[in-house]
Amino acid sequence: MALLKIDNLHVRVAGKEILKGLSLEVKAGEVHAIMGPNGAGKSTLGYVLAGREGYEVTQGRIEYDGKNLLELEPEARAAAGMFLAFQYPVEIPGVNNTYFLKAALNAQRKARGEAELDSMQFLKRVREKLAVLHLKEDLLNRAVNAGFSGGEKKRNEIFQMALLEPKLAILDETDSGLDIDALKMVADGVNAMRAPDRAFVVITHYQRLLDYIVPDFVHVLADGRIVESGDASLALKLEEHGYAWIAQRKLAGAA
Amino acid sequence: MDGLLEEFGRGDAQARAESWRYSRHALRALEQQAFAAADGNAALPDALIERFDWPQTRGHRLVFVNGVLHAALSDASTSGAIVESDADGARTIRFRGKGVLHLVFVNAASTAPSRWNARLDIRVESGTAYLAEQHVGTEGAGVLGALASAIAIDAGAALKMVTLGDLPTSASLVRCNRIALADGSGVDATHALCGGRFQRFDIDAELAGKKARFDSRGVFALRGREHVDVHLNVRHAARDTTSDVLWRGVADGRARGILHGAITVAPGADGADARLETKNLLLSPHAEIDAQPVLEIHADEVKASHGATVGQLDERALFYLRSRGVPLAAARNLLIAGFCRTAFTHIEATDLRGPFEALLDAHLPQQAGSSE
Repeated sequence: MALLKIDNLHVRVAGKEILKGLSLEVKAGEVHAIMGPNGAGKSTLGYVLAGREGYEVTQGRIEYDGKNLLELEPEARAAAGMFLAFQYPVEIPGVNNTYFLKAALNAQRKARGEAELDSMQFLKRVREKLAVLHLKEDLLNRAVNAGFSGGEKKRNEIFQMALLEPKLAILDETDSGLDIDALKMVADGVNAMRAPDRAFVVITHYQRLLDYIVPDFVHVLADGRIVESGDASLALKLEEHGYAWIAQRKLAGAA
Repeated sequence: MDGLLEEFGRGDAQARAESWRYSRHALRALEQQAFAAADGNAALPDALIERFDWPQTRGHRLVFVNGVLHAALSDASTSGAIVESDADGARTIRFRGKGVLHLVFVNAASTAPSRWNARLDIRVESGTAYLAEQHVGTEGAGVLGALASAIAIDAGAALKMVTLGDLPTSASLVRCNRIALADGSGVDATHALCGGRFQRFDIDAELAGKKARFDSRGVFALRGREHVDVHLNVRHAARDTTSDVLWRGVADGRARGILHGAITVAPGADGADARLETKNLLLSPHAEIDAQPVLEIHADEVKASHGATVGQLDERALFYLRSRGVPLAAARNLLIAGFCRTAFTHIEATDLRGPFEALLDAHLPQQAGSSE
C-alpha cells in the first residue's frame, strides 16, 4: 500500500491555479525526486503536503498512511510522520533551538501516545544526530536559525529531520545555496536515514544533489502536473537536454 | 481638574498635554477617585513576601511599603550601598566600587483607594553598581504609587539596572528615571512592565559627558484593559556618546501600550551614535499600541537610526513551528515569549533572568488572540 497517494491534485494560491492535476504515489522505502523548472509548482507541492494556510485545494485528494491528509492540521501531520525541510528555513529570534526541538519532539510523541523524553534522553539523541551532520553543539543554544548561514540553515533542517525521524520527508530544494561540502553532509544525513519504513520526496531544480542521494524514481513537474516519470537516468537526460526537451517531447507526443 | 497631570507632567501646559496625550483618560479616571494616604505600616501576606525574598539578594535589599522604608524587611548590610535619608524624606543611595542592591516597592492595598509618593537619589561614584528594582502589590481598593528617581553616574562609573513592574490589576504606578551620565560612564537598563491598571514610565537620559553610553531594553506584555505608557527621552549633549534603545511590546484583549522614544543630538555632540528600535505585536483586534520614534539632530557626523513597527505574529514562523509538531496554541506562545525575550539579552546576571522570564510567562496570554 502506498504511504502517500496524491490523486489529480489541483491547488490555487492567491487566486491562481498552480497545481493542475498532479498525481503521485510513494511507497515506504522509496526515494522520489521531483524536478522541474522554476514556477512549475514544486514548492507549492511541499507546502500543500505540510499544510500551510493559503493553499486552496480545489480538486483531488491526498491520502497519507491511510488517512485523508487534507483534514489534518500541520501539527497533526507532523505527529503522523510528515516532515518538510524548508527551502527557506524561518529565523525565529528569541526562541531557543533546543527548547523548540524538545517541545516539537515531545508534542509529536504525546500526540502518538508515546512517553515524552526527559532532558537527558533528549540531549543524548540530539548529540548522536549532530555528529552525523557535522554541526557544532553551540547551535543548540542559539535562537532557531537566527544568524545562521545559508548552509547552516539547510543542515539544521536535515538535523531536525534526523531528530524527529519522520515516515515521509519532503526536501524542498535543500541543495540550493549549498557548497559541495555542505551538499555532501546533507546527502550523508539523508542516506543514513534511508530505511524500508521511510520515504523521501526530494524536490530539486538541479541533478547535482541526485549524484549523492540516488533516487528510485524521478518525476518531471511542469506547469502544475507530472509530465514524465522514470528511473534515476531521467535526471541525467534532463541535465543534458534541459527542461525544454521535455516540453518538445510532449508536443511531439501530442502531435 | 487635571491635578494629577500638573503633578506628574513636566514642562509647560502644552508639553504636558502632548506627553500625556494617550494617557489623559487613564489619568482622568484616576482623578475621579478620592485617595487616602497609603499606609506605610500595612501588614504583608507571606505569599507576597515570597515574591521578592530572592535568596541571592538577602543582605542586599531595601523594602518600601507604600513608599515608606520597612525596617524589619530591609537588610542592605552587604550591598555595598550607602543609604541615607534626607530631611524631606527622600533616600539617597550611593555606590562606591561594586555594589548590588535589590529595591522592592510594595503597593499594599487597603479598603479604600490610597496613594503614595517616594523619591530616590541614586549616585554611582565609582565602579559598577547592580540595581534590581521590583514593584509588586496586593489586590484591593487600588493604590496609586509615584516614584521619582534621580540617577547620577559619575565619570567612569557604570550602573547595570533591571526593573520589574509586576502589579495587581487595581494598582497604578507612575515612575520617572532622570539619568545624568558623566564622562565615560554608562547605564545599561532592562525593564519589564506587566499588569496593573495604569503604568507610566518616563525615562530621561542626559548623556552629558563625552563617551557616555546609555542602553535601554524593555518589554511590556499587556492583556485585559491594562494600559502602559513608556516615554523615553535620550539627549546626547557631549561628543562621542552612544545610546542603544530596544523595546518590545505585546498587547492582547483591550490593552493599550504606548512607546514614545525621542532621541535628541544637541549642537556640538559630534560623533554621537544613536539607535532606537521598537517592535510591537498586536494579538487582538481590540488592542492598541502606539509606537512613536522621534529623532532630532543638531550636530554633525552623527550616526542615528530608528525603527518602529506594530504587527501581528509572523505567519511563516507559526507554520514552521507547527510543521515540526508544535500545536497551534503552544506555537503562538513560543513565538510571543521569544519575541519578548530578545529584549533580555543584556541581563548579565543569569540568576536575574529567571524572575524576568517567570514574570513574562505569568503574563503572556494563555490563549493568545482569543481573549477579550
